[in-house]
Amino acid sequence: MQPIVQVENLHKRFGGLEVLKGVNLRVAPREVVCLIGRSGSGKSTLLRCINFLEEPDEGRVTVAGISVPAGERTREHRQQIIELRQRAGMVFQSFNLFPHKTVIENLIEAPVVVKGMQPSQVIPLAEQLLAKVGLAEKRDVYPSKLSGGQQQRVAIARALTMQPQVMLFDEPTSALDPELIGEVLAVMRDLARDGMTMIVVTHEIGFAREVADRAIFMDGGVFVEEGPPEQCLSNPRDERTRRFLERIL
Amino acid sequence: MAKEALDLQAITARRRPWSGFRASLIAWWCVWLLVLLFFFSGARFSIGPVTIKTIALDWGFIATWWPFISRGVIVTFQLSIISIILAVVLALLSALARLSRVAPLNSLAGLYISLMRGTPLFLQFIFIYSALPQLGLVLNAFPSAVLALSLNYGAYMSEIFRAGIQAVGRGQTEAAAALGMTPWQTMRRIVLPQALRIITPDIGNQFIAMQKDTSLASAITLLELMGLARQAGAPRQRFFEALVVAAIWYWLMTIVLTYFQGKLEHRMARSDR
Repeated sequence: MQPIVQVENLHKRFGGLEVLKGVNLRVAPREVVCLIGRSGSGKSTLLRCINFLEEPDEGRVTVAGISVPAGERTREHRQQIIELRQRAGMVFQSFNLFPHKTVIENLIEAPVVVKGMQPSQVIPLAEQLLAKVGLAEKRDVYPSKLSGGQQQRVAIARALTMQPQVMLFDEPTSALDPELIGEVLAVMRDLARDGMTMIVVTHEIGFAREVADRAIFMDGGVFVEEGPPEQCLSNPRDERTRRFLERIL
Repeated sequence: MAKEALDLQAITARRRPWSGFRASLIAWWCVWLLVLLFFFSGARFSIGPVTIKTIALDWGFIATWWPFISRGVIVTFQLSIISIILAVVLALLSALARLSRVAPLNSLAGLYISLMRGTPLFLQFIFIYSALPQLGLVLNAFPSAVLALSLNYGAYMSEIFRAGIQAVGRGQTEAAAALGMTPWQTMRRIVLPQALRIITPDIGNQFIAMQKDTSLASAITLLELMGLARQAGAPRQRFFEALVVAAIWYWLMTIVLTYFQGKLEHRMARSDR
């Protein structure tokens, strides 16, 4: 099957430190991939390279037919990145809602500004997505009035309003109080069930085991273990994976 | 029931000293204002060997020339409004230039800011009005004053804008970029509105400061408030009276501006509440 996300030989250096050492990844449509590993293993950098929030030094990323090689400096390159980003929604650890806009304004901002749509065209979809994340009644409040869990659910809805074909999650529950993690994971679970392609950087092993089609354990900028979650997370072959899992479980 | 009564007591106990303080503040304001007025009453009295003389104003002069001097308020107001608008535009452009990766633009803005902040505003007024004609560039007093004020305040406010833009978190830029927005769309729709909110108090302070620096324009013959006060006072040796009239107007304008500044800040803080 044709992959919807394809990462080829991706390298990324920060100064002298090589954070990604030639990563290859193919994600099939509707597949849910969880990236796990200790901090500094390169998993967040890989995710951020997929939508070019970090410009990789070498390699190529393809998302839903938009194929962008690394390390170019042209206007055309920047345009391609914008095209690619419209197909890959991203959810951040720290939510990053726009604090000067209400919830509904947060949702319609990108479709209006990037796609040039009329607000009246986007609002029905935005309201539908808000209802889907269980926050229809928060339509007109400002983000500062919401709990962390609610903010993250709005952030997911905001990314979905662009109707992306892939969703990237960068530790979506790491900044949340423990009692708020469940509501965000529930929304993500629904999304996976609806057939969204997802790449999730997470420490939630339970979520990975339950929802992921594939788990990837990263260390030192490479994949050290990769497979179905029951095998990768319950029965790891690699020593580093085993030690990591022992520590966080 | 008993608990409610107790809570009520706690609330009033907390409230009373505060409102009491406020009342005494207002009372003391009035006292000091009266003392200030008394100094200008012209009264003369003795306590034992010490004779106290207060300032005797020529009220006839004030009554005659008040309307003449007050006409300058309009020019002063026009001058400060036009200059603050141009200064904000200049400040925004030079702040964006200073944040850009385009070396010629960035350094040009740096030079402009350094030059304007490194020389006195008074010199800039005289330079534009009196020195530029040597190069064949003759400007009237009003445009000269607008140019001097907006160039100078533009440079100062540029640093305020830059700090405000930098104070908007990196996460905001990343979130906008991840949604497919261009750097310019991100700046216009996401960063600038938040930066403006952050810097509103500082911009307000600059506006209030500029309101008073318009008086320097009298040195280049502009007949605004200060210029008219000097024109009325000088031939009649009544500088004191003329300047008191001008001072009262500057003070009133500042009070009004401060009031609106407070209102604006309150409105800007809407989404944080």
